[in-house]
Amino acid sequence: MAGVTDTMRRLAWSAARLAPIVALLAAWEIFAHSGAVTPFMLPAPSAVAQRIYDDAFGGDLFINIGVTLYRALTGFAIAAVGGVLLGTAMARNTAARWFFDPIISVGFPMPKIAFLPVVILWLGLYDVSKITMVVLDAIFPVVTATIAGIASVEKELLWSARNMGAGDRELLWQILLPAALPQILTGLQVALPIALIVVVVTEMQMGGYGLGGAMMQASRFANSRGVFAGIVEIAVIGYGLVAAMALVRRRLLMWHQEAQEGASV
Amino acid sequence: MTSLAAPRTVVVRYAPLLILALAWEAASRLHLVSSLALPPLTDVAQAWIELVQSGELVTNGLSSLYRAGAGLALAIAIGGALGIVMASSRPVNAMLGPLVELFYPMPKSALIPVTVLWLGFGDGSKILLIFLGCTLPVTIGAYNGARGSDRHLIWSARSMGAHRLRMIWDVVVPSALPELVNGVRTALALSFILLVSSELIVARQGFGYLIGYLGANGSYEAMFAVVLTVAFIGFLFDRAYQSVVERVLRWRE
Amino acid sequence: MSGPAQIIVKDVCHHYRPSVGRDVLALENVTLEVPEREFLALLGPSGCGKSTLLYLIGGFLPIETGKILVDGKPVTGPGPDRGIVFQNFALFPWKTVRKNVLYGLERQPLRREEREKRAQAFIDLVGLTGFEESYPSQLSGGMKQRAAIARTLAFDPRMLLMDEPFGALDAQTRSLMQSELLAIWEKTRKTVIFVTHDVHEAVYLAERVAVMSARPGRIKTVVDTRFDKNDPEVHRTKMFVDKVDEVWNLVREEAIKALEKRPS
Repeated sequence: MAGVTDTMRRLAWSAARLAPIVALLAAWEIFAHSGAVTPFMLPAPSAVAQRIYDDAFGGDLFINIGVTLYRALTGFAIAAVGGVLLGTAMARNTAARWFFDPIISVGFPMPKIAFLPVVILWLGLYDVSKITMVVLDAIFPVVTATIAGIASVEKELLWSARNMGAGDRELLWQILLPAALPQILTGLQVALPIALIVVVVTEMQMGGYGLGGAMMQASRFANSRGVFAGIVEIAVIGYGLVAAMALVRRRLLMWHQEAQEGASV
Repeated sequence: MTSLAAPRTVVVRYAPLLILALAWEAASRLHLVSSLALPPLTDVAQAWIELVQSGELVTNGLSSLYRAGAGLALAIAIGGALGIVMASSRPVNAMLGPLVELFYPMPKSALIPVTVLWLGFGDGSKILLIFLGCTLPVTIGAYNGARGSDRHLIWSARSMGAHRLRMIWDVVVPSALPELVNGVRTALALSFILLVSSELIVARQGFGYLIGYLGANGSYEAMFAVVLTVAFIGFLFDRAYQSVVERVLRWRE
Repeated sequence: MSGPAQIIVKDVCHHYRPSVGRDVLALENVTLEVPEREFLALLGPSGCGKSTLLYLIGGFLPIETGKILVDGKPVTGPGPDRGIVFQNFALFPWKTVRKNVLYGLERQPLRREEREKRAQAFIDLVGLTGFEESYPSQLSGGMKQRAAIARTLAFDPRMLLMDEPFGALDAQTRSLMQSELLAIWEKTRKTVIFVTHDVHEAVYLAERVAVMSARPGRIKTVVDTRFDKNDPEVHRTKMFVDKVDEVWNLVREEAIKALEKRPS
C-alpha cells in the first residue's frame, strides 16, 4: 500500500509544479482575447498551437528542427571531443598550458558571435560556418571544466593506480578522465545550451532552413503567430536537450549520485 | 585572484597572444593566406584609427553600450529582487519556481524576432531583449545565494528584533552576494552576446550593425577592427567587473 | 632482527618545495633497516615527515639524497612489489568493489578465472562478502578501508605500506580494524610499514616502533614491541601499558617540539 501513496504523492507534487505553468497559459489565453492587445502583438496560445500544428503536418517544422539539431549537435560533438582533448593537454603539459591559457581566459568572456561575419567571410554561407561558430562558442566551457576536473583528481587515486603498475596512457584513460568525469559533464551541460543559442542566431543571420531562419522569415512577413510558434518550438527543443543531458549525466554518474542523494540542478 | 602581478609575469602570461598577433601579421603580409580574407593586422589597426577619428566607432559604440547597460541594469534590479523574494517566501517560490525552471533552458536568442516585432529596429527592442534574456541568471544567482544564508545569522537577527525587511537587507543580501555576483557576471557576458547577435541581424545602429555594414561594403580591414573592438570590450568589461567585485567584497570582510 | 634487511633506507634527506614560500627540510639523514616479514610502525608527531618517508619508499616521490634499496634494488618509482594503502582509501569511485580489487590483478600474468577467484578470496578475507557489486559511495568508512586493503593484498605485493589507514575512521571501527589487520597479517605474514601518530595503535600492531623526531624528521629511537598479541586483554597487561608509556614519553618530547615550531 505504501507504493500507492508514494505514487500519489509524486503525482500531487508534479501537479503542484505544473499549476503555475497552466495558470500562465490560461492567463495568456484570456489576456490575448481580452482586447487589451491586438492579435498581432500577442497571439493567443490556441492560435500559436494551431500554427505549430500546421507547420508540423503541412509545413517544414520537422525539416527545420532536423536541420537545427544537426548543426547544433555536430558542433557540440566537435566542441566536446576537442574541448576534452585540449583541456587534457593543457592540464598535463606545461607548454600547452602556457600557450592556450591566455587564449582561453581572454576568449571566454568575449562575445564570440561578433566573429560570425569573419567566419562567413572565410567559410561561406553553408553549414560549415554555422557549425564552426558553434564549436568556437561551445568549446570554452568544456576546456575549462576539463582542466578543473583533472586538477581536482586526488593524487592518491593516481598513486594507487601507479602502485598497481599502470603506465602513463592507462593512467590517463582509465583513471584520470573517469575521475574528472563529473566536472567534464558539467562543462558539457553548459556547452549544449550554448550550442543551441549560437545555431539559432547564425540561422537568423543567414536565413534558409532551420528554426532560426524560419523565425526570421516569419518576422519579416510580420507573422507574429509564426514568431511565437518559433519561440515555443525552440524552447521545447532546448528543454528537451537539457533534460536529455541530465538523464545522461545521471546514468553515467550513477556511482557518484549515490553519495549525493538529493542534490539539485 | 586578480591581484597586481609583476609586469614580467603579465608579459609572460599574455605572450602567446603577442605571438598570435605576429603570426597574423606575417601570414597576411607574406600572402600565406589571402590578404583579402585576413588583412594585415597593421592595416586593421590603421582602419581602427580612421573609424575612431571619423566618429563612426564611437557613435555606434555608445549606442550599443547604452542598450546593453540599460537592459542589464533592469535585469539586475528586477532579477535580483525576484530571486531574493523567491528565496524568502515559500508561496512566491511555489508560484514562480516552476516558471523559472521552464524558461531557463530556453535559448534567449529566440526572442530576437519577437522583440523586433514589438519594438522595431531601434533601442527599445534591444533593451527589452537584453532585459528578458539576462533576468533569469541574476534571479537564479540571487535565489541560490539567498537560500544559502546561514540560518543562525537569520535567527540571531530575528531575536534582536529585526523585522522581516530589515533582516533581509542586513543578513540575507550580504551572504547572498557571492552567488549573486556570479549570476551578474553570467548576465554581463550574456548581455554582450544578445546585443551583438541582435545588432548583427536587425539594427540600424550599433557595433553589430557597423560590422555588417562594413562587411557588406567590402571594407574588411574596418570590419575586422570593429570585430576585435567588440570582442575586447566584452573581455575588458568582464575583467573590470571581476576586479571591482573583488575590491568590494574585500572591503566588506 | 629476524632476517636479512628487505628495505634499506640510508641517509635520506627530503625537502618540501611549495609553490610559494621557501623550501622546508622535511627529512634529515633518515636511516632505517626493515627485515623481511616484519611489522614496523613509523610513529611521530604531525609534520615529522613519516608519510613522506613512506612515499619515498613507495617511489611516489623522487629521492634527493641518500639511497633506498628494496630487495637489494634501488627504488626508482612506484611498483606492485610495494603495495600502498592510503588514509582516504583511494578507491576508484566509478568501479564496484570487485572491479577495484580486480584492477591490480589485471597486470598479473593470470587467467581470467584465476583473477576472479583471487579477487573473491580477498574480498572474503576482509569480510566484504556480499558487497562485491557495491560502489564505494555506498560503503561505510570501515568497509571502504577493508576494500582498499583487499585491493592491495590481491596483487600479492612483497610488502605493505600503510599511511595512517585507520585515521579517517571512528574509534570503535578503528579498534576493530586493528584486530582484523593483525589477524590478516598473521595469515599472510608480509612486511608492513605502518605510519601512524597513535601510540596505542603502533604498540599494539607492530613488532618494532620507529619513533621519529619533529621536523626535520630523523629516526629517533626504535623500540621493540614484540609480545603475544593474541590475548584479547593485552591492552590491560602491565607489559603493554609500560611499553605504551615508554614510547609515549619518547614521542611527547617530539610533539612538544613540533608544537613550539608551529607559527602562531
